Amino acid sequence: MTGTAAGRLRLSRAEHRSLSRKARRRRELTGWVFLGPFLACFLVFLVLPVAGTIWWSTRAGSIFGGTKFMGFRNFVELPGVVGAWSSIENTLLFAVYSVPAILVGALAIALVLARVRRGASIYRFLVYFPVLVPGVVAALIWLFLTNVDFGLFNEVIRLFGGKPVIWLGADNALLVLAVLDVWRNVGYWAMFFVAAIIGLPTELYQAAELDGASAPARFRYLTLPLLRRIIFFAIVVSTIWGLQVFDTALVLTNGGPGTATTTVIFRVWQYVFASNNKVGFASAISLVLIVAILALTVLQMRLLRDRRGRD
Amino acid sequence: MAALAYADGQGAGIDHARIRRRNRRRAELARHLLLIVVTFLLVAPFYYVFLASLKNSTAIFSYPPSLLPIPLYLDNYHNLLWNTGFLRWMFNTLFVASSVTLIKVFMDSMAGYALAKIDMRGKRVIFLLMLILLMVPIGALIVPLWSLVSAVGLTDTYLALILPPLANPLGAILMRQFILGLPRDLDNAARLDGLSDFGIYWRIVLPLIKPGLVVLAVIIFTDQFMSFLWPLIATTSDDLQVLTVGVAGLRAHGGANYGLWSASAVMSLIPISVFFFVLQRQFLARSLAGALKQ
Repeated sequence: MTGTAAGRLRLSRAEHRSLSRKARRRRELTGWVFLGPFLACFLVFLVLPVAGTIWWSTRAGSIFGGTKFMGFRNFVELPGVVGAWSSIENTLLFAVYSVPAILVGALAIALVLARVRRGASIYRFLVYFPVLVPGVVAALIWLFLTNVDFGLFNEVIRLFGGKPVIWLGADNALLVLAVLDVWRNVGYWAMFFVAAIIGLPTELYQAAELDGASAPARFRYLTLPLLRRIIFFAIVVSTIWGLQVFDTALVLTNGGPGTATTTVIFRVWQYVFASNNKVGFASAISLVLIVAILALTVLQMRLLRDRRGRD
Repeated sequence: MAALAYADGQGAGIDHARIRRRNRRRAELARHLLLIVVTFLLVAPFYYVFLASLKNSTAIFSYPPSLLPIPLYLDNYHNLLWNTGFLRWMFNTLFVASSVTLIKVFMDSMAGYALAKIDMRGKRVIFLLMLILLMVPIGALIVPLWSLVSAVGLTDTYLALILPPLANPLGAILMRQFILGLPRDLDNAARLDGLSDFGIYWRIVLPLIKPGLVVLAVIIFTDQFMSFLWPLIATTSDDLQVLTVGVAGLRAHGGANYGLWSASAVMSLIPISVFFFVLQRQFLARSLAGALKQ
């Protein structure tokens, strides 16, 4: 077009540059308009609170007013504060109990579910169903399973002539909470693994079968290596989720007995809103959690970049 | 049978095929048995609670438990619906979750469009920040969030429930991914035809990423339906309690009422079950494809 319109439409280099700069600037402005609403919410309700946690962690007092600057004292004193260390311990222990069980269970279910020919959609529906239960409701349901007198678990134990167990006693409560989490999350990761397994190249498996590789060998030398990155992703994300446990600990056991199921977020909530006014300690312990989650996230991002590099 | 098969020339081959078929059928049967056991274990708790919700308190406590709810006892439900705020809580949850979903699907798809298609200074930094903060939960931010919301006088309003969840960057990241997957020529052609960025977004990109939008809506809605800690501290009046907060309140106040608790558990699951039943494919397959693509 510019060619045929000869001299009249031809622009000088300077004019051309300024026009294209103007167009680019207008387009960039459009971009900010598109990004703006989300970005505003993101900055105000996520970036600012993360920074705010750092600020609050240097203060002492009540969230309802009247705090004073403490510097790093909160962090120095944190290990000695009632319940701070035990909440970290409980949370880590909870993750150690639940994450491996969730992922091993999910992988086992997925291996079977990916190969089943008839009725797969019914199984998927049922396996996934507990995933949709809010934590509060799941905890209510588990009150009916763990009740000493009429709970389902003890009914089954009695059926086989065993002695009833106090499921929510100090020794078992955290473990029960972890099993509840397995019940709620195993379906999520099972579906995740099913999608991954279905996406694996079938030729490899046909070749392996022709070579006489047994099913365990195919799993060990084909499925597992092929799913390595997927599994790593699942480990990181489910660990991050595990570190956030709160709803079920509040409704099922109310953090107890004693401090047996008091998790980090439970403690934060308690320090601020339930009884005490330890907003500084609450923020300090939140910050520990945030840093742990950020470290895991960055670890996982490096893994993703790795994959992109290889493709 | 086997002897008959051997009588003709190809007997051995047929037999071999039959054995293989039989093994395959056995393996399939074993898989079904395993899955039946697993799904039974996962689903049995629901039935047990459903059963309890249809019994009066003496029947709940009696041993051995009856496995069928006879005689049918509906007072728990009556009690829940008319003597607690359950219907109000349900309304609040559905209202808040729908609002967040609707706003966020538009906001995230627009942000995704900008992140995928438009050259902007600082875009990479923002995107990196989004990825890094992706997994930080609201639970770890309740102190600054609460003080922020109360500083602007929003505690105990619907806005306090709706605004903070909008910050989650997952949706924008997913939408960027979806939009990057679209063929480039489409919007080049549209631009040559004189369509503006908004026109391209509205008339070309949105219709093409519809499956992605549905997945995103499903993710956001379920997240909101389940959220508990933020609504718990952001609201204080009974009228603003969402389902999870109200149900947790039944447990916390007024002594042990197993009948009421079981009825509330059953009723709470109805909306999400209906939703899941209708959008099963989006729940299972699509969301996973999206997660894997990332």
